[in-house]
Amino acid sequence: MCDSCGCASPVEEDTHTKTVDVNESLFAANESIAKTNREHFEKMGAVAINLISSPGSGKTTLLEHTIEAIGAEFRIGVIEGDIETERDADRIRAKGVPVVQLTTGGACHLDAAMTHKGFHRLQKEPGGDKLDLLFIENVGNLVCPTSFDLGEHYRIVLVSVPEGPDKPVKYPKAFTSSDTFLITKIDLLEHFDFPVDEAKAEALHLNPRLQIFDFSSKTGENFDAWLDYLRELVANFKK
Amino acid sequence: MHEISLVQGLFQQLAELARQNNMTKVVTVTMEIGPLSGVVEDSFRFGFDILSKEDELLRDAELIINSTSVIYRCTSCNTAHESGNQRPDCCTQCGDSFLIAEGGDELILQKVEME
Ligand SMILES: Nc1nc2c(ncn2[C@@H]2O[C@H](COP(=O)(O)OP(=O)(O)OP(=O)(O)O)[C@@H](O)[C@H]2O)c(=O)[nH]1
Ligand SMILES: [Mg+2]
Ligand SMILES: [Zn+2]
Ligand SMILES: [Zn+2]
Repeated sequence: MCDSCGCASPVEEDTHTKTVDVNESLFAANESIAKTNREHFEKMGAVAINLISSPGSGKTTLLEHTIEAIGAEFRIGVIEGDIETERDADRIRAKGVPVVQLTTGGACHLDAAMTHKGFHRLQKEPGGDKLDLLFIENVGNLVCPTSFDLGEHYRIVLVSVPEGPDKPVKYPKAFTSSDTFLITKIDLLEHFDFPVDEAKAEALHLNPRLQIFDFSSKTGENFDAWLDYLRELVANFKK
Repeated sequence: MHEISLVQGLFQQLAELARQNNMTKVVTVTMEIGPLSGVVEDSFRFGFDILSKEDELLRDAELIINSTSVIYRCTSCNTAHESGNQRPDCCTQCGDSFLIAEGGDELILQKVEME
């Protein structure tokens, strides 16, 4: 009997097909690992933050200065994602906090499985088993990382002044999927045409829930507002 | 090009499905892709075409993509605006420019026809 239509007679070979309804997201596998990651982070008591930006927007520099400023207040750990080198991890290690480098070997984003491995490696680093704040620096790319939940509590997107103000319009998903938007390198505002208020309005237009900060890691201008925001995230989390 | 890694994941899932169902050939794969999924349809199709050529199970398989739409809801008056991938500049009812997207981020394997 033909198992596709139930007819009694043998029919031609090519009608013997079977259709399976799956209705499952291709992100389902990633999401289930992301959920495990989130549970791991929470068990440790750490707020996890996923940093996303184009290459060179100032993610690692932000982390260096953040560690210098509040590294004594909070236990900070970092997972660095890069396509090839260990360079960013070396910069963070020099600040004296536990760090692991994930090299994706060509992939343009971190996913939940890589993050999971990285987290367990980080736990084995000195001081890595108990953290208040876990930063995950994603691969420099404004497109691909936005599709992969790593299990973070907050996703933060950075745009630096030299990149220009049109990133929200060009890469909307980075802004609609984030909680926070950081405009970095504002010490360079005098050299670049970057209307800060317009860029903020444009981002809020895409995502009215965004929290927005603008500062310079280099000069420290407005940096305190960012630090206070982190303090608030940790305090809310411990409640 | 994370589309390639997504297609690789899809092919693993299809191989597993074929094995469970004792099938040797995938005929059609039906996907639902939303404009906010972060996946470019053309890139996904390109990845599918390239990788299926090297895969006995998937050679000659047809990829069908159903596109979904997004609802942009006004944060002031709650009016829903349905759209492809073009975000409305402001609410057609009250003119407010703060609209929140609902849906449109699907990347779903709907069904697979095998033989
Ligand atoms: N003027 C100025 N330069 C900055 C600032 N923050 C970072 N930079 C410079 O920008 C360059 C890139 O900074 P990184 O922190 O390495 O950027 P990144 O986002 O980590 O880069 P990738 O990891 O390669 O994606 C470096 O030369 C930094 O010194 C800032 O606030 N002001
Ligand atoms: Mg970096
Ligand atoms: Zn684990
Ligand atoms: Zn309205």
